[in-house]
Amino acid sequence: MPQVKIPVDLIMTKMAQDAERIQSRAKNASEVLLDNLDTDLAKTPFEVVYQEDRVKLKHYIPKTKTKYKTPLLVVYALINRETMLDLQPGRSVVERFLESGIDLYMIDWGYPTRKDRFQGFDDHINGYMDNVVEFIRHRHKVDKVNLMGICMGGTFSVIYSALHPDKIKNLVTTVTPTNFDTKKGLLHVWMENLDVDRVVDTYGNLPADMMNYGFLLLNPARLMIDKYVGFMENVDNKKFVENFVRMEKWIFDSPDLPGEVFRKFIKDCYQGNRLIKNSLMVGGERVDLKKLTMPLLNIYGKYDHLVPPEACELLTRSVGSKDTEDLCLKTGHIGIYVSSKFQEAFAPKIAGWLKERDGKRRKKRAAKALIKKAVIVPSEKEGKKKVTAKRTTKKSAGRTAGISKTTSG
Amino acid sequence: MNNKKEDPSGMESLVDTWMKSMGEFWTGMASTWAGAPTGNPESHAKDSGIGNKAQETMASALKNWQIISAAMAEPESMASLFKGAGVMPEILSQMAQSSMGSLMEMQKKMVERVGRMGDTVEAYRFEGIEENLFGVWSDIYDKEFRQFFQIPQLGLLRTYQEKTNQVVDKYNQFQYQLSEFLSLLGLPFNRSIKVMQDKLAEMAEEGELPNDANVYYQMWIKILEGHFMTLFQTPEYVQALAKTVNALSDLSGAKDSFFEDLLNSLPVAKKSDMDDMAREIYELKKRIRLLEKNQKRS
Repeated sequence: MPQVKIPVDLIMTKMAQDAERIQSRAKNASEVLLDNLDTDLAKTPFEVVYQEDRVKLKHYIPKTKTKYKTPLLVVYALINRETMLDLQPGRSVVERFLESGIDLYMIDWGYPTRKDRFQGFDDHINGYMDNVVEFIRHRHKVDKVNLMGICMGGTFSVIYSALHPDKIKNLVTTVTPTNFDTKKGLLHVWMENLDVDRVVDTYGNLPADMMNYGFLLLNPARLMIDKYVGFMENVDNKKFVENFVRMEKWIFDSPDLPGEVFRKFIKDCYQGNRLIKNSLMVGGERVDLKKLTMPLLNIYGKYDHLVPPEACELLTRSVGSKDTEDLCLKTGHIGIYVSSKFQEAFAPKIAGWLKERDGKRRKKRAAKALIKKAVIVPSEKEGKKKVTAKRTTKKSAGRTAGISKTTSG
Repeated sequence: MNNKKEDPSGMESLVDTWMKSMGEFWTGMASTWAGAPTGNPESHAKDSGIGNKAQETMASALKNWQIISAAMAEPESMASLFKGAGVMPEILSQMAQSSMGSLMEMQKKMVERVGRMGDTVEAYRFEGIEENLFGVWSDIYDKEFRQFFQIPQLGLLRTYQEKTNQVVDKYNQFQYQLSEFLSLLGLPFNRSIKVMQDKLAEMAEEGELPNDANVYYQMWIKILEGHFMTLFQTPEYVQALAKTVNALSDLSGAKDSFFEDLLNSLPVAKKSDMDDMAREIYELKKRIRLLEKNQKRS
């Protein structure tokens, strides 16, 4: 029998030291927890410039002179809230974009209630998203906007860009699932067996609590144990506590997911993998990825357990655009947006990539082009453009306004 | 004849047999835990070094149960047990018999499963996942109890009674699905502790035991995380998760249906009324938006 060497004396000494430290930590913790904690999220000033039902469009007040001709619209997922991009001053993607001189808009999907249960992909993509894009186009007198999608919002952005390629100048997708046929992510494995009809028919919308339980179950050891052990170890550190509570607020600030969106997302995407196969139907139209001809920047996380690289990297190979770029960051699903280290790499990368493709201001040229199309081809489709041209020219110079009157009259 | 008079349903002899075989079963368990050969010499050799305390406690608990079950199987004890039961109405007796039959079946399945126990606990492997007994519970519930909630109801209130039964049935089904699911979630904890023990034994032998409690914690959480990740990809877990979500949905549906009936008598709108209205508003809005767009185009 080998001699077992256990350093009992060292272990006991360490335990005594730990006990002392815990005592002192507990004393300081009460002071920290009873102090005024700054745990507010989304502090960067913005104004709501457009609202339709529960959906709002936020426009962030520029910090510097706008250096981009094309405004950027950010579309977050319907799961959790867009406030993650603006956690706190100094740790905010929004702030970094504004510092780069981007004119920034962001969709706030609001909190769907039971009455929203019938709203599906078509209502969100061809309805709300399209109306928002139209609003920005008219406000800035541009014919195209830059679009950036996050997670499920990225999937929506891909679909939107395929259905309305004429309105999108550059597309940025971040941690966006487009290929759902992979066993790498647990969500992909679990969703295969989910009886989504039974859930949606019973609950209407997918309850946020059910979703949150699901997300916690993706890694209970870290998300339900280790995270709180870490909190207890730093409970006497005010900055740490403030950051921790901010993240807790964000994680559990979860709106319900509209039932019909959930049904289609699971059936057509997770179970049918229709998007990458170009067989997804939205609003009666087939989503053809080859119609994505605009420049595409596709960013994802190497250690993302929700949307693994395998779910993201097929996109650039499936689109019609020749200007595509994949960027794989060595981080997880959330780390890209909340870690200061990755924000430093991520936000300037997007800003630089957009700047390279910003081009000249096309206000006058765009208006002319639209009108020209409207006059030359009076088809139903172009009729829509005629209206666009009219609206565009209403607020612009008299010369264009005059032409628009002619065309609409 | 005498026997027949005293025990018309045969329950006493049935329980007597059951108690005896339970005694034998726990004797087998006790000897397995005490270190009797299990057919797996590697695991036997491995187990002999560590976790002795836990084994001793388990063996002692099993021995106690063995003594109790042996005492219970004595004819005097059985007679006293059934002294009060003699007055049970026939129907209750039949129900008890049915339950006993289920218990016998469960015991049989337990014995089958116990045969597989004693295998080595390997890190990040869950082949033995079917060893949990919740499948047996669900079998018993489906075969023996569920039928009581399916009995056709008659008369004016039959619909309401049927819906009440549905709620109880769905609740029971959800409970056993949830138990199975939670038991699966407990597996990584058990296994990680066992693997941790093995690791510590190895480290102790090599004199490499750390003196910082945090190092132990970090080791354990990493092992636990690994076990969870492995478990979550097993077909058993995926199936249990889906079944639990389905059972929860079924229970919610049954509850909604039950409460809708109750709300019928109150001057308030029901969930289905609100849903109908929401659908109408949704469709109307959609039509209005389409008309607006078409009007703008023209």
